[in-house]
Amino acid sequence: MSNMRRGVSYLCCGMCLFLGSLTSAQDAAPPTAEQLLASMDKNLTFEARKTRTLMTVEGRRTRSYEMVSYGRGEEDAAMEYVAPARDKGTRMLKLGDELWIYLPGVDRVQKISGHMLREGMMGSDVSYEDMLASRELRKRYNAKVTGAAELDGRSCWVLELKAKDDGVTYPKRITYVDKQTYIPIKQELYALSGMLLKTWTMADVKEFPNGRKFPTKMTVVDHVKKQSVTRIEFREVEFNVAFPREVFSVRWLERR
Amino acid sequence: MKHSTSTRLALRNTLRRPTRTVLTAGMVVCSVALLLVALSWLRGMFGGLLTTAAALDGHVRIVTRPFAAREELVPLYENIAETAPLVERLRAAPRVTAVLPRIVTGVTVSVGEEIGDVLAPLIGGELSYFRDKLGVADKLTAGRFFSGSGDEVIAGVKLVEELGAKLGDELLLLGMTQDGSLSPIKPKLVGIVRMGGGRLDQQLFVPLPAVQFLTDIEGGATELLVYGERFDEAPQLARELAALPELATYDVRAWSVREPWKSLSGTMRAIEGVIVAVIVFLTALGIWNTMMMSVLERTHEIGVLRALGLSRWGTVRMFVGEALAIAFVGGLLGLALGAFPAWWLQEHGIHLGSRVAASSNVVVSETVYGRLTWDAALSSLGLGLLMACLGSLVPALRAASIEPVSAMRSGR
Repeated sequence: MSNMRRGVSYLCCGMCLFLGSLTSAQDAAPPTAEQLLASMDKNLTFEARKTRTLMTVEGRRTRSYEMVSYGRGEEDAAMEYVAPARDKGTRMLKLGDELWIYLPGVDRVQKISGHMLREGMMGSDVSYEDMLASRELRKRYNAKVTGAAELDGRSCWVLELKAKDDGVTYPKRITYVDKQTYIPIKQELYALSGMLLKTWTMADVKEFPNGRKFPTKMTVVDHVKKQSVTRIEFREVEFNVAFPREVFSVRWLERR
Repeated sequence: MKHSTSTRLALRNTLRRPTRTVLTAGMVVCSVALLLVALSWLRGMFGGLLTTAAALDGHVRIVTRPFAAREELVPLYENIAETAPLVERLRAAPRVTAVLPRIVTGVTVSVGEEIGDVLAPLIGGELSYFRDKLGVADKLTAGRFFSGSGDEVIAGVKLVEELGAKLGDELLLLGMTQDGSLSPIKPKLVGIVRMGGGRLDQQLFVPLPAVQFLTDIEGGATELLVYGERFDEAPQLARELAALPELATYDVRAWSVREPWKSLSGTMRAIEGVIVAVIVFLTALGIWNTMMMSVLERTHEIGVLRALGLSRWGTVRMFVGEALAIAFVGGLLGLALGAFPAWWLQEHGIHLGSRVAASSNVVVSETVYGRLTWDAALSSLGLGLLMACLGSLVPALRAASIEPVSAMRSGR
């Protein structure tokens, strides 16, 4: 009997230790900012991507655009509008810091000045740069974890990002990174003065091969432009696709 | 002593000292002539400016209130979405002779394959606006007026020179829609126009439907220009239109309360006032001088007249009457002298040159004309009489204050 009692005691201690270890694991130190940035970049940046996107701009009037776009690395992108009829056939090509637009109505390619990369695309709240670039945050920002928060029922790490150099469009960001998906479900983008420029939210995260997670819905609110919201829905998304090289050339813009 | 006596004395006194009379009259002649030329020139120049402005921008302009608040930014999105019902309503209003929608926006213009960087204002309007209000058809230096096909453009002569374009060329006009998207049109250059004002000669004129497409404001416009019977009745017309319930949410203003005409109007009135005041003051000073000399020389005579019953008021009337009589004759001669230069300015004007016209922020013709009117003539004559009154009043009061006994004793 005493042996049995001893055995039960050992078992209880063991179970307490085990349960204790579980608790300790949950209370373990949060990931570092660098780790969070790396996880975000792993999901959001790519070598090759093709999407079919619906962009809805809700402002003084509501209008929708449908585009097919190709992304290559951080800086190169090509996009063609397929709807509405007025804009169908309009194409854009971004190579590095240069942007061209093809206007089918006049069969002419127009190079857009560098500063226009930061202008709203088709009058939306999303700039050409926002839409066509896919840059790794860890290369451009220093970050620190400032805490945790609950957002739309999701537990998040809160990151404060500060740009490493002055040329970055949004010198400061407050990012809410979903603890499970490592998607920044909300980002507040600030100017150097501290003024809140945009709020960018991401939702409807889907899983892709190789464990990538990617949001298929985004919302951008431009706080400088009042009464305007842009909603982006990725209806089709493919990563690591092969596409013809000429897509990223001015020749592609002018093709019929 | 009767009133008629002092009047007769005044008239007689004008002939007693011919030299002094001629001197006084001469001052009035020069002043009135100068006033006539100055008033004709100023009113002609400004009147021409205002007439052109009212024709260009409407006697009364109607825009949305947010557009009016941010007009300098040319906010295309603050447009009048459907103009047809409003136009119909306004055309039925009393004293309205025309209602014309307009869109003004900025575009990049280029010719040929390369997209250039020449910026130009683009005016989109109905053909009647270009023909009847701007007079484009009459001011063409080459080509023709719009045929109505829609894909045509008429350009100002300076812009054409800058582009190196010629008739028949397709001009690529790159603008923006009301939502901020890039938007192009490619009309054919069918006419080159010299509007006679620096800014207008750098503009593009395109039929409204094409500009509505460019800006994606189908069926709408940014402005409605309303014309009445006379441009100087615009304030009254604006008040009547603003009272219409359909215009309760719109900004309705006469040309005269819109910038830059509002400030310009005040400035021109001030300039006219200063010029008139200086001329009147200097002439009155001269008349004061000659009349005071007359009073001092005739002290004894004034004493005798006062002793004979001429009242103080009669004394004043005598001297002022004398000055008025001289000024009246001088004024008529001044009108005759000033009429020819004023007429010449009306017929031939003064050529300011293209640089001055181009550098002006308001529409200024290269040649500015005077305007000789009865109003200017009567104003000049009236001011001549005013000079006489002002100049003779103090000497007359001085004469009226002379005591008869001491005056007679002075023996002068």
